[in-house]
Amino acid sequence: MDSRRGSRFVIDPKIRQVGFVPAGCESENPNASSAVAAIANVDVNPTSDSPSPVMIPPRLADPLPRAAPLPVPSPPPRKHTSVEIPLQGSYNPTDSVLGTSPPFSPASNGRYAGVPSSEGPDLSPSFVSRASSAMEGMSLREDHLGSPSASRFATVGEYAMFKQQQPQQPATAVTKVYASSLPQEPVQSFAPVGKEDSSKPLKERTTKAERRAKQEADREAKRIAKESAGAKVVEGEARASSNVVGKASRAQSQKKDSASEKRLSAVEKASEKEKKKEIPAPRMQFDDQSRVAKAKKRALIEQTETKHRVELFRHLPQFVYGAQLPSLEAKFFHDDAMHPHPAVYQVGLQYLTGDITGGNARCIAMLSAFKELIKDYCTPRERTLIRDLTARVNNNVSFLTTCRPLCISMGNAIRFLKTRIAKLQLTLSESDAKSLIIAEIDRFMQEKINYADNEITKLAVTKIKDGDVILTYGSSCVVETIILHAFSLGKKFRVVIVDSRPKLEGKGLLRRLLGRGISCTYSHINAVTYIIQEVNKVFLGASSILSNGTVYSRVGSASVAMVANAFHVPVMICCETYKFHERVQLDSICFNELDALVKIPGRKGLSELEGWSQSSHLKLLNLMYDVMPADYVSMIITELGMVPPTSVPVILREYRKDPIL
Amino acid sequence: MCYVTRTSALEYEDIEVGKARLIERGEQIGDISLKARKTIAMLGQDFIRDGSTILTHGFSRVVLSILKLAAANKKHFSVVCTEGRPDSTGLQMAKEMVAIGVPITLIIDSAVAYTMESVDMLLVGADGVVESGGIINMIGTYQAAMVARSMNKPVYVAAESYKFARMYPLDQKAMFPSSRQVDFHYPLPSAVQVEFSSRDYTPPQYLTLLFTDLGVFTPSAVSDELIQLYL
Repeated sequence: MDSRRGSRFVIDPKIRQVGFVPAGCESENPNASSAVAAIANVDVNPTSDSPSPVMIPPRLADPLPRAAPLPVPSPPPRKHTSVEIPLQGSYNPTDSVLGTSPPFSPASNGRYAGVPSSEGPDLSPSFVSRASSAMEGMSLREDHLGSPSASRFATVGEYAMFKQQQPQQPATAVTKVYASSLPQEPVQSFAPVGKEDSSKPLKERTTKAERRAKQEADREAKRIAKESAGAKVVEGEARASSNVVGKASRAQSQKKDSASEKRLSAVEKASEKEKKKEIPAPRMQFDDQSRVAKAKKRALIEQTETKHRVELFRHLPQFVYGAQLPSLEAKFFHDDAMHPHPAVYQVGLQYLTGDITGGNARCIAMLSAFKELIKDYCTPRERTLIRDLTARVNNNVSFLTTCRPLCISMGNAIRFLKTRIAKLQLTLSESDAKSLIIAEIDRFMQEKINYADNEITKLAVTKIKDGDVILTYGSSCVVETIILHAFSLGKKFRVVIVDSRPKLEGKGLLRRLLGRGISCTYSHINAVTYIIQEVNKVFLGASSILSNGTVYSRVGSASVAMVANAFHVPVMICCETYKFHERVQLDSICFNELDALVKIPGRKGLSELEGWSQSSHLKLLNLMYDVMPADYVSMIITELGMVPPTSVPVILREYRKDPIL
Repeated sequence: MCYVTRTSALEYEDIEVGKARLIERGEQIGDISLKARKTIAMLGQDFIRDGSTILTHGFSRVVLSILKLAAANKKHFSVVCTEGRPDSTGLQMAKEMVAIGVPITLIIDSAVAYTMESVDMLLVGADGVVESGGIINMIGTYQAAMVARSMNKPVYVAAESYKFARMYPLDQKAMFPSSRQVDFHYPLPSAVQVEFSSRDYTPPQYLTLLFTDLGVFTPSAVSDELIQLYL
C-alpha cells in the first residue's frame, strides 16, 4: 500500500465494507494509534450487496487527518454511537460511522497531504472494521481504489469529535475511531482503550495530535457550514452549473490537459436515489483531488451510474446506456451558449450509438462538425472572437465528451484547433479569421490523417511479400487500406482476421476484404495461439502510442501482440503521428474506457446473462482499450518512416516545434 | 548516403561545376571516414581493459583502428579472431595483430561458442546500421552475437555514422541479397543447393553498444540519430 496514494472513498450504494489491518500491524504503530487506529464501523446492513472490501492498513507515519469527507448533498441522518473501539482493529458492529448514503467521490486524492474537505465533497466511506487477511491481500491490489486509510478518515472523525469534547487533551482519545461528521452528536466517551499503547510515545502523539486537532477545528467549522447548506447545495450547483460551465471550460482549456478529457462529473442527488454514486470526472489523473473537485463543480449532467461496478475499475465512469440522452437535452439545450451546433449534435449522437467508431473516423467527423460550427459562427457583441470561439468550442467538446469520452487522437486535434484559434491575430476580420481556421482544419485533416495514411500504406506494403500470411485484429482503417493496396499491387498473400466479442468489429473488415477477392481466414481471439503458427506478420492499428512506446489500442490487441511475440512473429503497429501522446501508461487499468454494458448482446440460445443487472453478485466489465508494452512491438509504421517503439518520444520531441502537432 | 543526397551541388546548372563539386564531395567522404575512424578508436579503446580478451569476427578496419590505438596506449590484451569464411578475412586480421604485437588466436567459425566463455567481449564492425538499431555485417556475426548475449558478454559494434541506413529489416531475407561463392574444396553433386549469402542481420536486442563518430550509442539511439539526420 502506497501511503502517498490518495484514498478513494468509494461508497457502494449499499454498504461498503472496508477492512483494515489486523491487530498485529496496529500494535507496531503506536503513533498511528494516537490518531486513530481503529476504523469506524458502520451499521452492517444485512441486505447489503456483496461487500467489496478495500484494504486500508493504518499508516505508519500518521498523516494529518483531514476533515471527514462530506458528501455534497446532505446525507441521511447519521447515527453516531460513540463507541470505544479497541485499538487493535477489532470489529465493532455497533459503531456507525458514516451515514449510509453516500454519495462519495472516489476521492482520488486521499493522499495524506490532500484530502481537505474544503476542496470538495469527499465522501465518507462507510467502513466496517474488520480484521481479515483476505482484505489485506486485496488492499495490495486495490490500493488505488480503496481508501488507503480508513484510519485516516477515522482519525479525522475522531479528532473532530474529540476536538469538541476535549480540545485540551488530544492525546488521550487514541483508540477512538469513528468517522462522524456531525459535530452535534456528542461523543460519549473517549476512553482510550489501548491505553497501554498510548502511554508510550505520548509526547509524539501529543504534538501530532495537537496539530491535528488544530486542523480539525478549522475543518470542523467548514464542515458544519457545509452540512447545513448541504440541502441547498444541489440546487445551487444546478443553477450555477450553467454559469460555471463557461468559466470552468475556459479554465479547463488553459489547464493544458493534453488529452482533453473534459468529462463532466455526475452530480448525485443522494437523497433521491441512494443507488447512485457520485463520481469524479474521469480525468487523466484520477487521483488528483483538485481536478476531481473542479470537475464536480462543473457537473452538468446527471448520469445514472450502473449499480454493480467492478472494484478495479471504479475510478472509471460507467453509466447506464440510454439514460444519457434525456439528461443531455435537459441541460444542454436550455442555455444558448451551451447549445451544441447541430452538426456537433449529430456527430455526438453518432458516437453515442456507435455509428462512428475508430480514432480516425471520429476525429474526422468531429473536425468536420467543427468546420460547420465555425462557418455558422458569429461573434456576439462585446466579445472577442478568440475567447468566445474558444468557449464555444469547449462547450461543444464537453457535449461530445458526454456522448462518449474523447479518444487521444481527438484530444490532440482539439488541442491543435484551440492553439490555432488562440494564435489568431486580433486584427483579422471575422470572416478572415473564420476562413483561416477552416483552412487550418482542412490542412490538419489532409496532412495528419489522409496524407499520413497514404505514406503509411506505401511503407507498409514494402513489408508484404508474396506468400505472406498476415494477421490483423479487429478492424483498423489503416490496416485495411494497407491490405487493399498490397492486393492491388498484385502481391499474393492471405489474411487472417482475429475478432472478439462483444463488438465483433472484424466482421465488417472480413466482408469488405472478401468483397475485393482477398482470401481471408476468420477466427475468434480464443484461437489466436492456434492460428498464429501459420502467420508471418501481424499488422495492428492503434488508438494512440504513448511516450514509452506503449501502444494503447482496442482491447484484445495486447493479447494478440503477446502471442505473436511468443511465436517470434513480427508485430507492426500502423499509426499516424498525430495520435502520439507524451503520457506514459504502465497498465490498462489506470486509464481506460468502460463501454456501456447494455451493448453486450447475448448469444442466441444462451441466456445466462439475462437479468444480470438484478443479480447483486454479478458484475460485468466491458473494457474498450488495452495497453501493449513496447517489448511486443517490432516496429511502428508512421508517415515519418518505420521506427522502433523507442523512437516515439524522439518524434514527439522533434515535432513539438512544429506548430501543427 | 546523406553526404551525397544532401549536397547542393546537384542544383548547379553548370555541369562542370557540378562535377567538380561531386568529386570534391567524394574526397571529403574519404577524409570524413578517416577522421571518423580516429574518433571511434578513441571512444572504443576506453572499453578495452588490461587483461581482457576480445573476440572479433572477420576483418574490419574500424575494429583494427580501435585495437591499434589500445595497443599504442600500452594496454595488455589479447585477441581471438574467427577465420571468417568464405572471405577468410580473419587471416588478414591475424597478420595485423602480429604486426602490432598483440597475442592473437585464430579459431574456425564453429568454435565461437567454445571460446566465448574465455573472452570478455565481442567487438565487430558493421557494413550497415539499420533503423531498428541492428547491424548488417559479415555472415556469422548474428550467431556470434547471439552466443555472446546468451553468455552475458557485451557485444560492441564499431561503425561510422555514414553507415546508418533507413532500412528496417524484419528478418534475414529482407535485405538485398549479396552473395559470395563458397569453395568447399570438394566436388559437390549438382543437386546440392548451397546458401551463398555473405551478409546477415543482427537484431538490436543482441547488441550492447555502438561506437560511432557521433558518440557511443545504444541501439535505440540509432533511430534517434536517423530521425534527426533525415527529417
